[in-house]
Amino acid sequence: MVVAESVTPEIVSLDSGGRARMAAIIDAALMDRDAITRTQFGTFLTVIRLAPVLRFGRAFDRLDGDRKNAVLRWFQDCPVSILRKGFWGLKVLVFMGYYGQEETWSEIGYAPDFDGRAGVRHA
Amino acid sequence: MRELDYDVVIIGSGAGGGAVAKELAPLAAAGKRIAVLEWGPKLADDAFTGREVEMARQLYFDSGGVLTKDRTLTMAYGRAYGGSTVVYTGTSLTIPEDVVKRWDVPGIEYNDLQRRSAKYIEENNVHKLEESELNDNNRLFLEGCIKLGYRAQQFPINVKGCRSSSLCNLGCPNGAKQGTHRVQLPAAEAAGVEVITNCRVTRVGERSCDAVVADPGFGLPSSWESGEVRVNAKVIVVCGGAINSAALLLRSGYGDRLPTLGRYLTLHPALILVGEHPHEISNFHGHPKSFYCDEFWESEKFLLETCMYFPFITSKNLIGFGAEHSKLMRAFGRLQMILVLAVDPALESNRVLVDRDGEPVIDYTMGPSVLDSLHRSMVASAKIFFAAGAHRVHAPAGASFFIERKDADRVEELIPRSNVIPGKISVASAHIMGGCGMGREASDSVTDSWGRVHGSPGLYVGDSGLFPRASEINPYVTVMALADRVAEHIRDNAGELLAP
Repeated sequence: MVVAESVTPEIVSLDSGGRARMAAIIDAALMDRDAITRTQFGTFLTVIRLAPVLRFGRAFDRLDGDRKNAVLRWFQDCPVSILRKGFWGLKVLVFMGYYGQEETWSEIGYAPDFDGRAGVRHA
Repeated sequence: MRELDYDVVIIGSGAGGGAVAKELAPLAAAGKRIAVLEWGPKLADDAFTGREVEMARQLYFDSGGVLTKDRTLTMAYGRAYGGSTVVYTGTSLTIPEDVVKRWDVPGIEYNDLQRRSAKYIEENNVHKLEESELNDNNRLFLEGCIKLGYRAQQFPINVKGCRSSSLCNLGCPNGAKQGTHRVQLPAAEAAGVEVITNCRVTRVGERSCDAVVADPGFGLPSSWESGEVRVNAKVIVVCGGAINSAALLLRSGYGDRLPTLGRYLTLHPALILVGEHPHEISNFHGHPKSFYCDEFWESEKFLLETCMYFPFITSKNLIGFGAEHSKLMRAFGRLQMILVLAVDPALESNRVLVDRDGEPVIDYTMGPSVLDSLHRSMVASAKIFFAAGAHRVHAPAGASFFIERKDADRVEELIPRSNVIPGKISVASAHIMGGCGMGREASDSVTDSWGRVHGSPGLYVGDSGLFPRASEINPYVTVMALADRVAEHIRDNAGELLAP
């Protein structure tokens, strides 16, 4: 969850229900994947947690916000493609868990309507 | 294992399977037994909730995120009564004559495909929306293109009673989209064709196929009880979509005598780009896809289309994370969106394989020409956003997260080609083509121009797998036109093919 809070800072302010919904969405998405992918995901999370020890002398969880962002940015731009793709997969899961919740739609101003005809106004 | 006997079995119920089913319905009405075996469920009308994660899980394979082997691209294709026609936007274009020439398949003529396409354009109520039905997201795209002198055209779409929900890609909650689930399949069923949902075909042979019926936990129950079943049929038409049709034939052993099976896969690799306006625009109300720009189709091998996606899909297509990503997501009501489609070459090395369990593996690499097209498309899109009035633009390969309006003249410089890095930017595909390509003979193709598998008189393919190269446009009308040919060939040869 610490990594997720760096990917999407609003997760910090989710209540317990929101966190539970997020975890359920991510769990369901992972369960739809094969065992190898699930194992790779778990391994990648461990790599993200421990990799900062080499540079900052601390695990990811114990870094300040700027350093957490620096670590994630390094993974995002990493020349080693497997690490770059791993980070992409991680952030996609976090986004799914947060933005996939109907409860967060109002936070971003998304308000779909089965009958949207009145909303097709012109700016 | 139970055994059932049919005259014709159609595997899949999307654009291809649905069209074949309806065109063979007269045979069913005349007493022939015809079944459509569909892997996915049929949802009740009130089960289309518009909730992104829920609908994606129920209507798409892997929730619309099937990964390629190298994990640089995701693919979205449907699994439902009606296949991908349940989840497309209904944009209905006829394949250009130049593309048919490039296909170079003996027996495939533009005039023939054009005539058959026109039939489905009529049958599925294809038309252009009225100007009053177009939202700002679409109008701004047109305005931007006009200001820049780019050629833009309105999409004909296949809706009836559209209520502007903008939820097309999650299955229309109003039943307005005229996919095969609304038109061809009900007509086929009325004539006596059986459609069996929740039925996955695991192996296909010359005159039989094996299937498993299993309740996915949602949707209406299948008309067949759960369990394994062998279906004997004199004619089998494989319409499972480019990935699953190729995989089914491969795991059934056809790769041994058809060396191109699974190969020459094309995907129209796609990007979703956003521009932020200084004020609210109408974007998530109204049909999402009304215009396209083909200015760069020949010169730079990409098309631009209007689009509007849902929160999760939008979030994953933005580069980056953290505060700036959140800030852009919080501007959702001010976002204009453009979808890019790169026209990818048909390469022998891009292909569908099967793993040791028989599951499909998509071995596809975006080559330099595709990455060039994606890069140039970002530059063109940024120019359109600014011309339409956006005050900043997010380009996945941008040197910074936002390109501000004051830098609008520098987009070429601020979107460097070197930043188009597979595995960093989100690239997706919803146009999956090839793998069972038409051609002359078994050494260069999988089927002939009628979709008949070389060397197997009763086995046909009737979906986008038939494309020998990309369609270079939204493909579903072309799929239906080719499926129409398949059905015609079966009808014309029914005496021989369906003889006892």
